[in-house]
Amino acid sequence: MDRRPVHPMAWIVWATSAGFVAFVTTDPVYLLLLWAVSWFVYAGHRVDAEHARSFRLFLTGAMVAVALRTALVFFGTVSAANTTFSFLEGLRLGTILVIFGTFNAVTDPFGLVRMAPRHFHEPALAAALALSIAPRTVAGVGRVRDAQRMRGIRIHGARALPALAVPVLERGMEEAHTLAESMDARGHGAGRRSRYRPQPWTGAAILIAVPAIAAAATFLAASVGGWAVLHPQTSPIVWPEADPLLLAGIGLLAVPGVVGRPER
Amino acid sequence: MGDDVSTVATTVLRRPVAAAFAVLAALMPVTWPAVTEASPACAAESGPHAALVIDTGAGVRSFCVALDATTVSGIHLIELAGAQGHLSYGFGSGGQAVCRLAGVGPQGDDCFADYPQYWGYWHGDGHGGWTWSSSGAASARVGDGALDGWVWGSGDSGASHPKPPPTAIDDVCVPEATPATSPSPSRATHAAAVPSAGARSSASKASSSPSDPGTNRSAKPSNDGIGRASAAGTPTAGALAAAPGPPPASAGPGPGLLVALALGAALAGGGWLRIRTSRRRRSIG
Repeated sequence: MDRRPVHPMAWIVWATSAGFVAFVTTDPVYLLLLWAVSWFVYAGHRVDAEHARSFRLFLTGAMVAVALRTALVFFGTVSAANTTFSFLEGLRLGTILVIFGTFNAVTDPFGLVRMAPRHFHEPALAAALALSIAPRTVAGVGRVRDAQRMRGIRIHGARALPALAVPVLERGMEEAHTLAESMDARGHGAGRRSRYRPQPWTGAAILIAVPAIAAAATFLAASVGGWAVLHPQTSPIVWPEADPLLLAGIGLLAVPGVVGRPER
Repeated sequence: MGDDVSTVATTVLRRPVAAAFAVLAALMPVTWPAVTEASPACAAESGPHAALVIDTGAGVRSFCVALDATTVSGIHLIELAGAQGHLSYGFGSGGQAVCRLAGVGPQGDDCFADYPQYWGYWHGDGHGGWTWSSSGAASARVGDGALDGWVWGSGDSGASHPKPPPTAIDDVCVPEATPATSPSPSRATHAAAVPSAGARSSASKASSSPSDPGTNRSAKPSNDGIGRASAAGTPTAGALAAAPGPPPASAGPGPGLLVALALGAALAGGGWLRIRTSRRRRSIG
């Protein structure tokens, strides 16, 4: 199998399509399947332990989002219908977060900078930095904890925060500085782009992008055409439906889980 | 690319995860016809209907509205009731808020111009109870068998705002000519005894019911109190001869859910296996 890294654009297409699917539906069947798909794709493509931490962070964030959105119902009338409605809205938000976590874990944000047109290098760099803040912070926290553990420092609870925050912030500053210097030294954004490391569209990249577009198109058709229930009614609460065509569409989003895995 | 695909195929067949996928793919055609054939049949019998109850404070009007999609927004339900049952309405805030219903409410774009009096939005539980809607009418989803209520009054939440009169879905959208269900015979006789304006022969409707659900159960305004609303709604309530019992959606989990469950289990289990094997490989190497 082709072991070259998958073109980042393929992952953008996948994440956008999966996010779109999550955006147009509040059916818990499709949303929970998207959680499973994200987990499956992440399991097939995660590169190292640091990325694993970042995915876990987004997973936790998604669960918190679902809980918070559901808790909002306590500001209004608490009823089964209202709670279900709030929960489904929260689940949709959480699904988008989990998809973004997978996207973060499987692709290198700095690879995206290379694809930006030359005149947009600076905004693209800012975007890439913003995208990578969460995984890099998580990785930094992990490294600081490891270092502390090796030195026999064991601090738990709230008292660990300052001991943890200072080195993490310091590291972050240092890393950003190093990155800026190295990019400057390589003439980033100043001249023509390097052709020494071309990023071809491999078969795996096409196998990731095309089914994802097909899945998004299926849900778009269902949303516009109205031939399937994308928003199950919550008053009275009924069993959610699962349209076979839309299930197949979600299955298409899981294709990246079986193709184009990087060498370990 | 061709080489890619063939290697992908061989990789696929080697993995237990992919084997699960293959099994699912094989199962798909078995369950598919059952699902796809079932839903149009139900749609042809009745079509989705929802009830809309408008309480102006002076009187209650209720409408049985035929939906043009499986779920519509609360705003669109009012539009449909306007088209089918001559309900006058006015929206504000760019069509997102309900200002005016049945001639009551402010005229302009500001739906709170008459505050503290405004239109409160309620969802019915189908058996007479009402809950204050946690979402706006533009984002609320109304499906088959749902009840939406609007009450003109004051009170900032469901605790203080007046509720619509207790209404069940069968009070507004009456399943008629259904010998299987118990309430129907008494209603049918009531309908024959008290024919109201616009009521046509229920027998003729019963005969034409399976082909044309739209005319059978069209919107029926009843301009009197809720005590008579059910009676007035009855004669024109279309024949649901072909669709007795509750709406099909609430019957229980369908076969699609089982397929979804299997798919989700395969994905989750596959991901777990992947992580476990890669971890083991790392600890060995």
